[in-house]
Amino acid sequence: MGIALNTLLMLIVAVSITGVINRTRALLAGRKGLPFLQHIYNARLMLRKGAVYSTTTTALFKIAPAVYLGAAIVAMLFIPVADLYPLISFEGDVICFAYLLALGRVALILAAMDTGSSFEGMGASREALYGALIEPAMMIGFATLAMFCGYTSFADIFAHEQSLNIHLTIVMLLTAYLFIKITFVESGRVPVDDPRTHLELTMIHEVMCLDYCGVDMAMIQIAGWLKTASLSMLAANAIAATGCFHWWLATPLAILLTGVSVGVVESTQARNKLLRNTTFIVTISALAALIFFIGFLLQLNINI
Amino acid sequence: MFYLGLLLTLALLVAALFITPLRYKVWTALAFVTTAAIAVACYAISVLAGSKPITLAEAAGPIFGVERFSIDPLSALFLVIIGIAGIATLIYSRGYLAQYLGKKSSAHISLHYVALVTLILSMMLVVMSSGGFSFLLAWELMTIASFILIIFDAQKAEVLRAALAYLIMMHVGFIFLVAGFASLHSVTGSAAFSALPMAFAEGKTILLFVLFLLGFGMKAGMFPMHVWLPEAHPAAPSHVSAIMSGVMIKMGVYGVLRVIWMVQDYSELQIIGFIVLAVGIITGLWGVILAAFQNDVKRLLAYSSIENIGVIFIGLGIAALGQASGNSIVATLAMCGALMHTINHSLFKSLLFFGAGNLYSQMHTTHLNMFGGVAKSMPVTAILFLIATAAICALPPLNGFVGEFMIYLGMLNSVRDGVNTLAAAGGIIALALIGGIVVFAFTKLYSTIFLGSPRDHSVAESVEVDSTRLVAMAIPTAGIILIGIVPQVAINAVKQVTMLFTPSADAIIGDYITPTLSKVSLTALLVILVIALLYVIKSRALRKRTVESGPTWGCGFTSPNIRMQYTGESFSENLEAVATSLTQNTVEGRAVSKSEIFPSAHNYDVRHKDKIDRLFTEWWVELLHIINKRIMRLRTGKINHYILFALLFLVAIFILSLLNII
Repeated sequence: MGIALNTLLMLIVAVSITGVINRTRALLAGRKGLPFLQHIYNARLMLRKGAVYSTTTTALFKIAPAVYLGAAIVAMLFIPVADLYPLISFEGDVICFAYLLALGRVALILAAMDTGSSFEGMGASREALYGALIEPAMMIGFATLAMFCGYTSFADIFAHEQSLNIHLTIVMLLTAYLFIKITFVESGRVPVDDPRTHLELTMIHEVMCLDYCGVDMAMIQIAGWLKTASLSMLAANAIAATGCFHWWLATPLAILLTGVSVGVVESTQARNKLLRNTTFIVTISALAALIFFIGFLLQLNINI
Repeated sequence: MFYLGLLLTLALLVAALFITPLRYKVWTALAFVTTAAIAVACYAISVLAGSKPITLAEAAGPIFGVERFSIDPLSALFLVIIGIAGIATLIYSRGYLAQYLGKKSSAHISLHYVALVTLILSMMLVVMSSGGFSFLLAWELMTIASFILIIFDAQKAEVLRAALAYLIMMHVGFIFLVAGFASLHSVTGSAAFSALPMAFAEGKTILLFVLFLLGFGMKAGMFPMHVWLPEAHPAAPSHVSAIMSGVMIKMGVYGVLRVIWMVQDYSELQIIGFIVLAVGIITGLWGVILAAFQNDVKRLLAYSSIENIGVIFIGLGIAALGQASGNSIVATLAMCGALMHTINHSLFKSLLFFGAGNLYSQMHTTHLNMFGGVAKSMPVTAILFLIATAAICALPPLNGFVGEFMIYLGMLNSVRDGVNTLAAAGGIIALALIGGIVVFAFTKLYSTIFLGSPRDHSVAESVEVDSTRLVAMAIPTAGIILIGIVPQVAINAVKQVTMLFTPSADAIIGDYITPTLSKVSLTALLVILVIALLYVIKSRALRKRTVESGPTWGCGFTSPNIRMQYTGESFSENLEAVATSLTQNTVEGRAVSKSEIFPSAHNYDVRHKDKIDRLFTEWWVELLHIINKRIMRLRTGKINHYILFALLFLVAIFILSLLNII
C-alpha cells in the first residue's frame, strides 16, 4: 500500500512540476498562461505520431530513448516520499541512483553523436562535461546524508524517526538547497541551459535531441520529468526530515520548490554564458564539499 | 632442480614453436598456455573454493636460499585472471597476426609466440613465487618477454624508442624491488614475503613499504611512473597491449597486495592506507583527465588503464584505513571492491584493446579523427566495443559497476561510521569525478570511432574481422555480462582472498554483501527488463505508423558535410579549457584563422603530451646540461691551472686522511 502510494505520488510530482513552472512564469509575466496539463496533452500528441530517422544513424539511435526513459523510471523507483517506502531499497542504493542517471546520460550522448551533426556534437560534449562535474556534488551530498542519518539507502535516510535537533535542521536545509541546485543542472534549466532558446548553438540538452521526434521525443521528455521529480523529491525529503513531516508535506513541497524556483529564475534571470557554466557547476560541487564539512564539524559537536 | 626444469621448459617451448609450420604456430602456443592454465586452474579453483594453500615446487636459489612456488587464494585469483586473458589473447592473435604472416619471417613470428607464451607463464610464476630470487627472476623474465613483444614492429623508430623507454623504466623499478628484497633479507635472514611481518616488527615498515610500492608501482603505472604506459601500448601489437594492460600491470597490484596485508601494526597500516589512497586519487584523476585529451585509440586506452589502477588503489587505501581503525565492514567492502575491479578491468580492457586491434588491422590507423561510422561496416566489433565502453564507464547492469559500487559503499560506510571521515570523503569526491570524466572520455572515444559518418574512404570500405577474433572477444564479453548480472555469485571468487586480509570477512560477505549484491542484481535485471519492454512497445507502436528516413537535421544550414562532424578534438575542447595546465600541447601546422573568409586547405595537428614525461626525459637531460656547463668552467686549457687542480686534489686527500675521513 505504502509502496503504491509512493509511486503514485512520484508520478503526480513528475506531472505537476512542469505545470507549476509554466504557471509561475505566466503569472510573473502577467499572462494567463497555458492550461496546467498542456505539456501532458503535447506529450500524448507526440506519442501518437510516427518517426523520422536520419540515414546516418544506427540502431543505437532508436534504442537510446528507451534506455534513457528506462533508466529514469528505475531511478525514480528508489526515491521515497518522506517516510513512505519506495519499491526498491537496499544499502547503497544512492550509488545505484547516481549511476542510473549516468546510464541515461551516456545513452543520450551517444545517440546525439550518432547523427553526425555538429550541433548535436556540441550538445553531447557539453552534457558530458557538465555531467562529469556535477557527479561529485551529488555523491558528496549523499555522503552528507549518510553521515548525518547513519544510513546509505534513501528509504532509511528519510524514514528514520529523527528527533528535532538544530544541527540536523541546518544540515538538512543546506542539503535541500544543494539538491535544488543539482536539479537545475540535471534538468537543463536556466541559468545552465535554456530549454526555450531559439539558437541551437547555445543549447545543451535540447540540441542533443534535435533529430528526435514523435514517440522518441515524448519518451525523452517524460524521462526528463521523472528525473526532475526524483531530484526535487530528494530536496523536499531533506526539508521534511527536519521536522518529521510526512508525505502530505513532502509532495507539495517537491512540486512547489522546484516549480516555483525554476519559474522565478527563468523569468528573472538570463542564462549563463557557456564559459561561465563550468564555473557555476564546479561551484556547486565546492558548495557540496563545504556542506559536508559543515556537517562534519557539527557532528563533532564543536561550538561555532 | 627447479631452475633446470624451467630452462628445459623454455627450450622445449622454443624448439616446438620454431619447428611448427608458420600457420600452426598459434595453435602450438595455445596448447602450451592452455595446458599450463588448466593445470594451475584446477588447484586455483579449489583454493578459491576454500581448500588449503598448495605448494607445487621448491627452488633453491643462489642468493636468498630455498623458495617455494605455492598457490594461496591471492595467487589463485590472479592465476585465473592470467589464464583467461592468456587464452583469449592467443586466440585473438591468430587473426591479428594473419596480416603479418606474409611480411615477417617465420623466425620473427616464432620469437613473438615464444615471448607471448613466456610472458604468460612468467606471470603465473610471479604470482606463485614466495618471494626473493625466484620472484625477481620471474619478474625479470616477464619484463624481457614483454619487451620482445613490444618491439614486434621494430622497423618503426617510435616503436623502438617506446620499447627502450619501457625496458629502462622497468629496470629502475626492478632496482627498487631488489633493494626491497635485499633489505628484507638483511633484517630477517629471509627474502620471502612471509618474512615481512618480522621485518615490520623491527620498525622498518614504512621504508620497506615505500621501496616495494615504488617497485611495484612502476609496473602498475602509478603516478608519476606511468609515463611508459601511453608510449608502450600504442607501439605494441593490440593483443599484446591487451594482455599487458589487462593483466601485466596488475602484477604491480598483486605485489602491493602481498606487502600490504603483512602489516600488522594498525598505526602503521593507517599511514600506509593514507599513502595508497593519496596515490590512488592522484593516479586516477591524472590518468582519466589525460585520457579524455587523447586522440589516439590506444593512448586513450593506456591512460584509462592508469586511471583504473588509481581506482583499485583507492579501494586498497580505504580497505587499509578501514582495517587500521578496526572497521571490518569498510575493510571488507573496499577490499572486495578493489579485487573485483581488478578482475573487471582485466576483462573490459582486454576487450577494448582487441577492439582497437580490429580497427587497426582493417584501417591501419589508430588516430580517432580518421574513423567515423565504423558501426555500419563492423557491426559486431561495434556492439562488443559498446559493451566494454559501458562496462568501463561503470554503468549498470555491467561488471564495472559492481566493483565501483563496493568501493563507494565502503567509503559511504566509512563516512557514516565516522572513521577516517575526511579521507573517505576525499575518496568519494575523487571517485565521482573520475567516474564522470571516464564517461566523458569513453563517449568521446566510442562516438568518434563508431558513430556518425565515415571521415575516410578506407573506413567506408572496411569489413568485419574474421570469426576467431570475434570468438576471442566473446570470452571477456561473457565475463563482463555475467559478473554484471549475478555479482552475488561472482563475489565468491574474491571471498577467500579478502579473508586473508580481514579474518571476519566471511561473515560480512555472507550476511551483508551478498544480500546487497542480490538486490543490485535484481535492479540490473529490472533495468534490462524495463528498457527491453519500452523498446518493444515503441517498435510495435511504430509498426503501424509512417516511419521515414532522411538526412540529419542541419539546423537550417543547407549543405552540411562530413568534415563538419564533431571530432575527438572538438569533443574534448571544453574540458581542455578547464584543465589545460596539465598538458603540454604541441601543434603541427596552422589552424584556420578567423580572418580567412574562404579557408584554403590546412594541415593542423594538436598533441597533448603529458607534463610528467619531462620528469623522466628532458628534466634529467637539462640537469645534466647545467651541471656540465658549470664543470666546463674548470676546463680552461691552461697547464698552470691543471697543475693547481692536481695540487688542490692532493692537499684535499692529505687533509681528509689526516682527519680519518678516508
